[in-house]
Amino acid sequence: MTEILRTGASGRTSFASLTGSGQLVLGVLLVALCLGISAAAPQFYSEANIIAILRQCALVLIVASGMTMLIIAAEVDLSVGASLAFVGCVGMAVLNATDSLALGLVSALAFAGAVGLVNGIVVTLLRVNSLIGTIGTMMMLQGGVYLFTREAVQNHHQLASFTALGAGYWGPLPIPVIFAVAIFALCAVTLRFTTIGRYLYAVGANERAVRLSGIRSARLKLAAFVVTGLCVGVAGLILASLMNAGQPTAGRGFELTVIAAVILGGTSLTGGSGSLFGTLLGVLVLKVIDNGIIILGWNQDLQMVVPGIIIILASYFDLLRSRHHA
Amino acid sequence: MALITKLLMASAAIIIATSAQAANMPKKIGYVTNYATHEWYQNVIKGMKAHAKELGIEVEVQDANLDIAKQVSAAEDFIAKGVDVLILTPVNEEGVVPLLRRAKAAKIPVVLEGNPVKGMTTLVAICDYDTGYFAGVEAGKYAKQKLAGVAKVMNVGLPLLSATVLRSKGFMDGIRTEIPSATLVHDLDGGGNPDRALEVSAAALAKNADINIIYGINDSSALGGLQAWKAAGKSQDNLLTVGTGGEGLAFINAIEKEPSYRIEAAMFPEKEGFTTIDAAVKVFNGEPVPEHIVSPTAPIIGDSWKTYYSYDGTTRSIKWDAVNALKPPAKCMETSADLKK
Repeated sequence: MTEILRTGASGRTSFASLTGSGQLVLGVLLVALCLGISAAAPQFYSEANIIAILRQCALVLIVASGMTMLIIAAEVDLSVGASLAFVGCVGMAVLNATDSLALGLVSALAFAGAVGLVNGIVVTLLRVNSLIGTIGTMMMLQGGVYLFTREAVQNHHQLASFTALGAGYWGPLPIPVIFAVAIFALCAVTLRFTTIGRYLYAVGANERAVRLSGIRSARLKLAAFVVTGLCVGVAGLILASLMNAGQPTAGRGFELTVIAAVILGGTSLTGGSGSLFGTLLGVLVLKVIDNGIIILGWNQDLQMVVPGIIIILASYFDLLRSRHHA
Repeated sequence: MALITKLLMASAAIIIATSAQAANMPKKIGYVTNYATHEWYQNVIKGMKAHAKELGIEVEVQDANLDIAKQVSAAEDFIAKGVDVLILTPVNEEGVVPLLRRAKAAKIPVVLEGNPVKGMTTLVAICDYDTGYFAGVEAGKYAKQKLAGVAKVMNVGLPLLSATVLRSKGFMDGIRTEIPSATLVHDLDGGGNPDRALEVSAAALAKNADINIIYGINDSSALGGLQAWKAAGKSQDNLLTVGTGGEGLAFINAIEKEPSYRIEAAMFPEKEGFTTIDAAVKVFNGEPVPEHIVSPTAPIIGDSWKTYYSYDGTTRSIKWDAVNALKPPAKCMETSADLKK
């Protein structure tokens, strides 16, 4: 057992230098992007734009925090975009029926957590590959949301507290950013300072060895799926608040943005390595590019092209660095 | 005795009229839509079924779900079943051309909805440019009255599709008939989705918030733009939001609850479905039909949505008398062909 932990921890330590330098490159890239865009368009560093970027980062970071834990455990969840849309519709419908923000939140979290649980069961109990299993869930959710509602669930309750969830401020900070920071911190502490966090790295690095040492790896993975689901629950309700409706068409491609941010941040798709700080940088880089293209007035098709190029380059340089250190 | 005679004569007249009508009606129509989950198509289908029921026609619907192979397969099934008329909303232009040939060989007339295809007999569609144009004219009048004659527009558009490009172009041309100095401050690609529209609008407003009109190529785009405006903490006092489509409940909710959402370029999808059935009956009877049958659109200003729809809190119902009274133009002011010039 101790051996396993040592393996996980040492694996993490040896990767730390790599991911650490990767994060340095990402940090430099982020600063360069900010400076470059600001030089070309000074509006970039206006307070309004910084708030707009932070708000957009918040939704991705909330889900990416859970996804990082999942990918570190060598699994992935492609259903988060479809779940995001469904959660918004469920949450809004419950809010309309009850006029209670608490019940809306609970229902959204319960639904999203249940989706995570189903994903976890499919992967750990039925032993379906998570890539395939969560594509199945994604399809079920995309179809299911239209069985639930044929059109956007409108805001009939008009609760001010619900509007504040997406568009409100706490001091100078948008409330979605507060949520994102809290969830990010919780996940970061769990990964870095708790036994569960260390087990997740170990499961991702060598699941068989972890199982042989008596740790129930399936339960850990199940927990990671549920946590990712719960993160989607929070993000889905915030998105519904921002859009003032539960939109069944929302969240298209959201899963790709989230996974791209996690991978860009240095987390390995094969599991066992990665960090939430890297994910944070990945989210910031992607969203700054997104925002910068609009601020600079460039063709918006580049919003898909540029991050794609950056992800390939980042993965390639990471590979080169790994070979160099090997 | 006289009363009985009159009743008998009236009954006979009704029976004769009904049987004459039934003789000229197709029994079964097959419709392959391209994306049935979208609110627009749900309401097109609703309008089709309502009118078909009045005429005693059975309508069977299949969804291609944006997959041309699925559309071809569903249409071939209808042809094999021997439907009297086939209605298609093409997923793409090229993919449907062979289907038209196969239907012609099987002597099944075809009506297209939404998008034109080479070799078609007739198409039922709205005029996208005109829809934007007349909404633009109304927006210009509103700006003259309420916005001190200033019109600075953020267009939450969708450059991918010629139909939506035409709407945006029509809107700007329309508004300039009232306010020649109207400017297009932001021309955005909102992807037609509410969350994407929100995201790009938030960035654009952070760059330059000196706008007073938000135009969306559909309701989701307009609402995404408006939500970005609200999230930036801005007041709706000197803002006008104009949506397009009116395909669901969103625009009714917005007009009722958002002070700036005052104009909707309504496209009446139910009426498009209604008109498509009329066209199907005509082609079934071999009557001459124009290549493009225009389905009417109209700008709705504020509470006047109640002229065209009733709403019971959960579902909306179209008021057929009001919508059927709208006179569509014989031809569109501009079409996608004009964009290529």
